[in-house]
Amino acid sequence: MSLLKPFKLIGIAHRSGVVTVRYPFQPPLVTPEFRGRIRIDASKCIGCGACVNACPSNALTLVDDGERRALNYFIGRCIYCGRCADVCPVGAITISREFELATDNIGDLNSRVIHYKATCSCCGEETTATERMISYVVSRVPVTETYVHMGSRCRKRRFIEGLMMGRGMIYGESER
Amino acid sequence: MVDFEPSKQDLEEVRAQLTEKLGHIARSVEYVPGAGILVEVPVKRIREAVKIIHNDLDAYLRTVAGVDERPVKGVFSAYYVFGLDSKHVNIIVVAYMDSDKPSIPSVVDIAPSADWYELEMYDLLGIRVEGRRLYRFILPEDWPEGLYPLRKDVAYNIRPEPSLRSREAISGPRIPVGPYHPALHEPEYFELYVEGERVVDVRYNGFHVHRGIEKLGESRFTYQQVPFLAERICGICGFVHSVCYTQAVENAARIDVPERALYIRSLVLEVERLHSHLLWIGVACHLLGYDAGFMHAWRIREKTMVLAELLTGSRKTYGINLVGGVRKDINRDKIGKVLDTVKWVEDEFKKLVEVITSVPQVVKRATGTGILPKHDARAYSVVGPVARASGLNRDVRRDYPYAAYKEVSFKVPVYSEGDNLARLLVRVDEVLESIEIIRQLLDQLPQGPIMAEELEIPEGRIGVSSVEAPRGEDIHFIITGKGRPYRWRVRAPTYQNIPALKVMLKDAPLADAPLTIASIDPCFSCTDRVVVVDARTRKRRIISLRKLSKINCIGCLI
Ligand code: SF4
Ligand code: SF4
Repeated sequence: MSLLKPFKLIGIAHRSGVVTVRYPFQPPLVTPEFRGRIRIDASKCIGCGACVNACPSNALTLVDDGERRALNYFIGRCIYCGRCADVCPVGAITISREFELATDNIGDLNSRVIHYKATCSCCGEETTATERMISYVVSRVPVTETYVHMGSRCRKRRFIEGLMMGRGMIYGESER
Repeated sequence: MVDFEPSKQDLEEVRAQLTEKLGHIARSVEYVPGAGILVEVPVKRIREAVKIIHNDLDAYLRTVAGVDERPVKGVFSAYYVFGLDSKHVNIIVVAYMDSDKPSIPSVVDIAPSADWYELEMYDLLGIRVEGRRLYRFILPEDWPEGLYPLRKDVAYNIRPEPSLRSREAISGPRIPVGPYHPALHEPEYFELYVEGERVVDVRYNGFHVHRGIEKLGESRFTYQQVPFLAERICGICGFVHSVCYTQAVENAARIDVPERALYIRSLVLEVERLHSHLLWIGVACHLLGYDAGFMHAWRIREKTMVLAELLTGSRKTYGINLVGGVRKDINRDKIGKVLDTVKWVEDEFKKLVEVITSVPQVVKRATGTGILPKHDARAYSVVGPVARASGLNRDVRRDYPYAAYKEVSFKVPVYSEGDNLARLLVRVDEVLESIEIIRQLLDQLPQGPIMAEELEIPEGRIGVSSVEAPRGEDIHFIITGKGRPYRWRVRAPTYQNIPALKVMLKDAPLADAPLTIASIDPCFSCTDRVVVVDARTRKRRIISLRKLSKINCIGCLI
């Protein structure tokens, strides 16, 4: 009997039949939970860079040219972890189920959202925030409105000037 | 709930024992929760301390971490982590070294498994280990002398000019072998020295793709990014590494991880073990020329891959672990699917095993080959199925419980034969145990959050964590730092098992070598290149493991 045991495999094989799928002629077996490439909704993104800080593999980067700020997504580095979607404050990132990403054009692997930087309401220079970041903050916390339109330098200057104008206590002014 | 803590009584006992035996040399003996009992000894007395702990207390060396602590403490240090299985506690011996010329006596004659750790300390940190032969081990041969990448004053992204000096320093007759192809086959390779058809000596040559992951984790990543890096240490048991890392940080910072998260971790770890063991059983059949068995093992395995994707979002490198918990919950629907799948896997697997263990070419070639006797297994501190097949009753899930393993009951299969068949049978039994564990976990799954609320990680804490990977115990050692680990030491199971291959391969026929090498389930997925050197003529041939597994006569090679 035990000599014949190996032949039991024929029965097993017969019962299981063909288990492979004729991909790509048939749809691939991807479960609904599968994490593929991400999609960034340019109309929602505010350019805050939270996703860039969370991304373990530098697939998301911020590029700044003074006037503009680009959020760049490079699929070649993406590990499809979805951390960026976890941390985005406005829900601009969705995880798709797309995985057939091979291409012969590297341009297909890059996508970006361009943001314009806000200018300081006081000195007119570019600030470090994008216009959308400011509208986002304003829509959330209306009290900060006066300072929020200024760059950090003007904001600090205004603060010290405010102190000198008698708000709070001044120990004395040193000589120049 | 924080990781497992040893009982008060055990702790007191071990501490009393340590104070008694090491009292005359130890500067301090203290219990560090989340790590173990920390014993500080002067660097000159390290040999005495290791001898007492390794030989008298019968603890085994789990890992050694050299650390450049100059920026914080002004010294180099070496942490030797020993496991005392019977008391479920780690003993960590630490010695501080001079910051200018760090050196430490070698302990390799006392604990043979210290061999690689010492070489690594020398290579990556420039700590001179006295009283043994030191040579370049991990760094490439053209890496400049005197540049030690794990030191804190060396940037993580430097690309030094190749230095030819060290290459010239190699002496003696050598026959160049190559090229290494990191993309096609993983570039570890063994040199088997043969006389006729007998293997007389073995040399392992590895680390060709050492990527400096520890350094990256210590300098470029943040605490919550490292789990994704850790998961990429291994393509088969990656989740093990991410769990091990997060646990080490959680232990160090005493973070309370919600119970539900612990259950999910255990569940995914067991699903990973299922796929890994099924993969290995398939590969073993393939190496023995029994491809039908290979196909069917992988047919069954495929279901576990789909299951993993359903639970985590990815077939492999699941990416659901963070310090403090997990990112993905499971619901009733998924629980049902898991139970259905494991039932199916169980039925199919039992049928397949019945067949595989009756096929003569499998049984005959696995029985009595690649034997690792128990005392050698003990000396090399081997781990996982390799240890259990050689009669060592050692399983981290039971001995140092983590995640949800203390809530479930399971058997640890132990065989005493120490041959390839025993290692196969250990894995077969473990597949069935894993399925039982999965059922228990799902049955008891508690409700609640899956992520800790408070995540504060103070600096300068030590954490040690171990996880039973499919191929043995994985252990991570952490010293916390600012925003990222100050030191992150990873020791994968294969690191501990490869040196023992020497024993298994020696004096055995060459034809058994492929199966024996594969029998430790080496972490590089296909250790494909074997060099055959005739010890008399010193002629070499490189052949692939696959081809080697097909030939039976050495004559057609040389
Ligand atoms: S999915 Fe992960 S790797 Fe990809 S962009 Fe998002 S955070 Fe980065
Ligand atoms: S986190 Fe969201 S809003 Fe901020 S930059 Fe990224 S995608 Fe845009």
